[in-house]
Amino acid sequence: MAGWRGSRSRPGGGSPRAERIPSSRTIQLGHVQPQAPGHRTVFCNDREANVNAKFKGNSISTTKYNVLTFLPKGLFEQFRRVANSYFLMISLLSCTPVSPVSPITNVVPLSMVLFVSLVKEAYEDWKRLQNDKAINNSSIEVLQDRRWESIPWKKLQVGDVVRVRQDAFFPADLLFLASSNSDGVCYTETANLDGETNLKIRKALERTWDYVTSEKASEFNGEVQCEQPNNSLYTFTGNLIIEKQTLPLSPNQILLRGCSLRNTEYIVGTVMMNSMNVPSKRSTLEKKLDKVIVSLFLILFCMCLIGSMGGAIWINLKDYYLQLGKKDSTNTPQFDPNNRFAVFALGIFTLITLYSPIIPISLYVSVEMIKFIQSTQFINNDLHMYHTETNTPALARTSNINEELGQVEYIFSDKTGTLTRNLMEFFKCSIGGESYGTGITEIEMGGAQRNGKNIGEVRNSSIAIREKGFNFDDARLMHGAWRNEPYPDMCKEFFRCLAICHTVLPEGEESPEKIQYQAASPDEAALVTAAKRFGFFFFRRTPTMIYVRESHVEKMGKVRDVSYEILNVLEFNSTRKRQSVICRYPDGRLVLYCKGADTVIYERLTSGNNDLRNTTREHMEQYGAAGLRTLCLAYKDLSLDMYESWNEKFIQAKSSLRDREKKLDEVAELIERDLNLIGCTAIEDKLQEGVPSCIETLSRAGIKIWVLTGDKMETAINIAYACKLINNDMKQFIISSETAAIREVENKGDQVELERFIKDAVKTELKKCHEEAQNYLQSASGPKLALLIDGKCLMYALDPSLRRMLLSLSMSCSSVVTRLVRKGAQRITLSIGDGANDVGMIQAAHVGVGISGLEGMQAVMASDFAIAQFRFLTDLLLVHGRWSYLRICKVVTYFFYKNLTFSLTQFWFTFETGYSGQRFYDDWFQSLYNVLFTALPVIIFGLLEKDVSASLSKKYPELYKEGIRNAYFKWRVLGILAFFSVYQSIVVYNFVLTSSSRGVTSSGKMLGLWDVSTMAFTCLVITVNLRLLMMCNTITRWHHISVGGSILLWFIFIFVYSYISTNKGIFYVIYVLTSTLYFYITLLLVPVVALLGDFLYQGIQRWFFPYDYQIVQEVHRHEPDGSSAGLLEIGNQLTPDEARSYAFAQLPQEKSKHTGFAFDSPGYESFFASQQGVKAPQKAWDVVRRASMRSKPKKPQTS
Amino acid sequence: MNSNAPSSSSGATGSADSSGPRRNSKRPKYSRFTQQELPACKPILTPRWVISAFMLVSIVFIPIGLASLFASRDVVEIIDRYETDCIPQALRNDKVKYIQGPEDKTCNRTLRVPKHMKQPIYVYYQLDNFYQNHRRYVKSRSDKQLKDPKSENDVSSCKPEDTTPGSNQIVPCGLIAWSMFNDTYSFSRNSEQLPLNKKGISWKSDRQHKFGKKVFPKNFQNGTLIGGAHLNSSIPLSEQEDLIVWMRTAALPTFRKLYGKIEVDLQANEIIQVQLKNYYNTYSFNGKKKLVLSTTSWLGGKNDFIGIAYLSVGGLCFVLAMAFTIIYLVKPRRLGDPSYLSWNRNP
Repeated sequence: MAGWRGSRSRPGGGSPRAERIPSSRTIQLGHVQPQAPGHRTVFCNDREANVNAKFKGNSISTTKYNVLTFLPKGLFEQFRRVANSYFLMISLLSCTPVSPVSPITNVVPLSMVLFVSLVKEAYEDWKRLQNDKAINNSSIEVLQDRRWESIPWKKLQVGDVVRVRQDAFFPADLLFLASSNSDGVCYTETANLDGETNLKIRKALERTWDYVTSEKASEFNGEVQCEQPNNSLYTFTGNLIIEKQTLPLSPNQILLRGCSLRNTEYIVGTVMMNSMNVPSKRSTLEKKLDKVIVSLFLILFCMCLIGSMGGAIWINLKDYYLQLGKKDSTNTPQFDPNNRFAVFALGIFTLITLYSPIIPISLYVSVEMIKFIQSTQFINNDLHMYHTETNTPALARTSNINEELGQVEYIFSDKTGTLTRNLMEFFKCSIGGESYGTGITEIEMGGAQRNGKNIGEVRNSSIAIREKGFNFDDARLMHGAWRNEPYPDMCKEFFRCLAICHTVLPEGEESPEKIQYQAASPDEAALVTAAKRFGFFFFRRTPTMIYVRESHVEKMGKVRDVSYEILNVLEFNSTRKRQSVICRYPDGRLVLYCKGADTVIYERLTSGNNDLRNTTREHMEQYGAAGLRTLCLAYKDLSLDMYESWNEKFIQAKSSLRDREKKLDEVAELIERDLNLIGCTAIEDKLQEGVPSCIETLSRAGIKIWVLTGDKMETAINIAYACKLINNDMKQFIISSETAAIREVENKGDQVELERFIKDAVKTELKKCHEEAQNYLQSASGPKLALLIDGKCLMYALDPSLRRMLLSLSMSCSSVVTRLVRKGAQRITLSIGDGANDVGMIQAAHVGVGISGLEGMQAVMASDFAIAQFRFLTDLLLVHGRWSYLRICKVVTYFFYKNLTFSLTQFWFTFETGYSGQRFYDDWFQSLYNVLFTALPVIIFGLLEKDVSASLSKKYPELYKEGIRNAYFKWRVLGILAFFSVYQSIVVYNFVLTSSSRGVTSSGKMLGLWDVSTMAFTCLVITVNLRLLMMCNTITRWHHISVGGSILLWFIFIFVYSYISTNKGIFYVIYVLTSTLYFYITLLLVPVVALLGDFLYQGIQRWFFPYDYQIVQEVHRHEPDGSSAGLLEIGNQLTPDEARSYAFAQLPQEKSKHTGFAFDSPGYESFFASQQGVKAPQKAWDVVRRASMRSKPKKPQTS
Repeated sequence: MNSNAPSSSSGATGSADSSGPRRNSKRPKYSRFTQQELPACKPILTPRWVISAFMLVSIVFIPIGLASLFASRDVVEIIDRYETDCIPQALRNDKVKYIQGPEDKTCNRTLRVPKHMKQPIYVYYQLDNFYQNHRRYVKSRSDKQLKDPKSENDVSSCKPEDTTPGSNQIVPCGLIAWSMFNDTYSFSRNSEQLPLNKKGISWKSDRQHKFGKKVFPKNFQNGTLIGGAHLNSSIPLSEQEDLIVWMRTAALPTFRKLYGKIEVDLQANEIIQVQLKNYYNTYSFNGKKKLVLSTTSWLGGKNDFIGIAYLSVGGLCFVLAMAFTIIYLVKPRRLGDPSYLSWNRNP
């Protein structure tokens, strides 16, 4: 939804429907107020009226240009780059007489660069256009002339009435008018937007239910006043004005573009909003590139200053052969010895044009090309990142920020759909102190693997009952076998508790195979499904009854339907952390079933039976450590008297108007005591494949991972355990707003006081954590740190006064679990998510990664990279990112080096020419140096350079830290390069000039300026190209071809060029040169001497101060490039430190901190509230409420 | 009718694909390029490599250095600086006035041959502090005009020496030609004239292609200010070799230019008389003038630089190779020692 963009308010006037205009304004107190730009008015079913408003069409356009604007806009974009506009300026300057070089020197490279850039832009834009077309041309039924006409999406206009069929996508944000369901309800799946697969209910206003058929719908003419398009998914304010009646609209009536219709034959809606766009990002390296360029500017400026000052001092009349004193029109002030200031000032311009190649003009375009190929050829085509199940390859949506992938320090990850599959599966349980379920979670597998055991293959061999929500495998409980277990009664209670104590709604046919459970939380559905599998099939719910088909209860194989009367439901909420149902058996037995967090249940157990308590707790700890979500189950038999007296209080509390929640809680406390423990359940929140090992690898790479989740603290902690983000070995800092103290203040109800209190609490907490963290950091081998903070606290912690502390604390933690975060550190951040709720995060981070594949496209549309699975991050970051970073850095520094070297030779020459700014090289040498003679090798290098192979990159994730530290692009690195380029330029310049000052052939002839400069240029081209070869860690055929080719190209060029340019000094020089022995001798000497320094440096550096990658290279120097071998290999080497910590983690723990309670259930309050006849705010996701309102049975909606 | 086309918009697979059979698999095609698995050699700069590279350089360079140094030492060179000596003692306090004055500029010099000089002996003049590479100077010529009689009017680049005050085009135009060196030398041995061959002192390509056979000097040195030599207007430019040599501008402010060849051997300790006409004004800018007689070797003139450079680089490489060997022995580092990895160094 992010980025819906609407039109501005209408200009008004001159319309055929002028009489309508006033209604579009807000009239207050008798005077007309102009319509606020924050609102829009839509006339439904009335295209003419909407014409005035000039709403945007429904076609989306992600293109940057069209045919007309391409050239001006594209050029403008190009000239926004410092280097390009600089060269434009230089080109203009070189047309004036101050220039020592002809305009071609600068115009040629500039136009080549612009040409290449524009071609690339055009190509990318064309691809975007194709994409847009595909979307814009999908068809939709629109009401036209009382009939449904099929038109493409792009023709859709605001105000149109459309009909959307089942499973189709909504083409725009719609106002829901009517549905094929008679009660004006439809189901939507918002997976595209927020990644959640459970269905959401939308309900039309009663007033509009009738507009189902085309005849009726064409009579509809309402007027919608609503907010402007925005990126908020869950809020909406607006009014529908229909026949002078104003009806308030809520999110319940809004169908968002991109969602799809489910379980409903069709709906009718009217279009309200449309169109979107996506912002683009610029990489920080590119910003740093600008810094490099600015520093080159400074060098350039200094060089110019020195040169022109020298010129002003040097200039004199004595050199009569220059005729400087001649007073005529020809003598520009540039060489007027009487006006030294002019000499100085104009000299600066002269020298700027002369030294202009110091700014690497082709840098941007080369880097762009490299990145473009990297993303289109390498990332998009990587088989390691191809997900076969969903048939999804990786997709790089921008090529701007590839190298940022190599520097990511913080990952912000969405939980649902990204780390987890949003699939809850009943996995294990403990009944009466006996643990059931033989499954092994990924975490346990990882642990076992590290211990050297291989248990990966044995699972799921015997009974393969797999169903959504059920992944349990233990013959002792299945098919009535529980009757033979030590505590069959306990089992019975356990199953009944599962089957009764919930708020699930069955749908569809009442058979175990076909039934569909609609639950507000997948946890509950999983529990009920489990009960079904155990033979307690819950198949029907009425507001007061629950029907369960029980098998094997009286004796094996016997099946009977039992109806339980639900007397009371004690709701679940985050303070209670438990849920109870009081039911009456058909035989009159009154039982309270309760499920909830172990902490709250244990407080309320009857005394005695400590064995059961302890074993159950042990089991829960085991489950928790395995990353499972646990729930404690308990029951209590009630006597009728006791119940009756309690129920009176309950009804009283239920109908009280003030502090109802609190009173209900209090009443519940009265009955939820002296419970009998049955056991516990363990649900696996199914992780995406390979998540734990991926996270582990990433954290070894020095990446800090923040998981952002909308869940409660317990769930968050649990999932963090599950994906190995934190373990018991870590020091956890928990900052939660749900403490007793805060709750107490909360209950007082004073908002100001509350705010102050929480802030103080957070502050003290933070301070405490911070100090502690510092202590841990100072000790040598302290544990890793983890921070857990909940949204409310974070809100306060982000307060400017506390933000700094939070930041420094969180930076010292290696993992942070939090519910909400706004902006990270100064470092490179990456956000990964799959739904539209992550869009903001994805766009805010430096690098946005969307999960593509099964679910939505919103996140993908907003992202920079799309991958099918979280685990592909390893490849994306450690392999592609690292290489990209390495390559781009080296390419940039190489550009820096080669241009500096080139310009410096020119600079040294300036001193010998009386500072006149005479060019050393021919115009064409200078213009083609960057774009021809040194261009291709560096691009090949930028594409193919690898320091270590892909499998080694993943085996040694620590190598990634070099990117985080930005080790390849520091000023120090540039400084060393600058030093060597000064050295090389001196060698090239002086050696050539000194050696050529005598006769160079046996025939005694002398070389002229152009001979010498050609000689020097030849040496320079060879040196610079060989220097590139020395940088390579990988040398392929293409390196040889490009380096050899570039040098060859130079020779071909000079042989042709010096042959044809008879009117220039350059004529024939190369033939003269090659006819001398001197040429070859110098050609051997100069590059070798020039490169000697680099070679020595590299030798010493590698030997004494090796980089990590160099060691890794050496370790694996004898191995072939294990491409296919490394396909599945992810390193599992343990450092001694890790091994020790793991050993500790494996020890039986006396009092585990973590038992894995987690339960999500947003829909309770309103459901039960309405059951008791009390109005509660209607919520969109209220599935259960929807069910209870269904008056008469309908035919199944699923077809 | 109902379309789920939007799923294609993401460019990734949407529900449309997952429902249908896998006809159009998006599995990327394998190629060594896209999988970045091109065959490659991965050079590792091991100490052995470093040492052998240094050794190789020194092995190659030292012989070349020795050879070119010997060649250079074989060259016999006589240098005679004469710009001050050729001014009568009395007039030395205002040299410029002397050189611009009408006095006879003849000057006799005697040179002693230090060693046997094999013919051909090349005669050079050397100027110091003369900026033939000044921007204003370098561009003040018209190559077109020099080559083609039809382009006589192409003098725009020749400013300020493009036309006479009467607006007649100067051929050859420009500051370079105008300021041509005009000292003359003639040599005699034991009162016997040594013939000076002035043919073939310029590069052949210049004579044949850059200076026209049908281009004759015109309006040359007619102005008030005389820069240097006069040219015989009946000889085409292609045969004016002094001009051709002069027009190939030097790279540095100190330069030599070939004047002629003496095609007889000179014996050691022979005395050579030089009669020179000291016309050229280097006094304004304190330029030096030197007369150089030199033989050549296979490498050209006397040029110790290349030999020394080769030798010293070769020697340096040898020293470095030795130093590295010693360091390698004293403080070896096992190749691929994991304890050098940064994350192993600081636990």
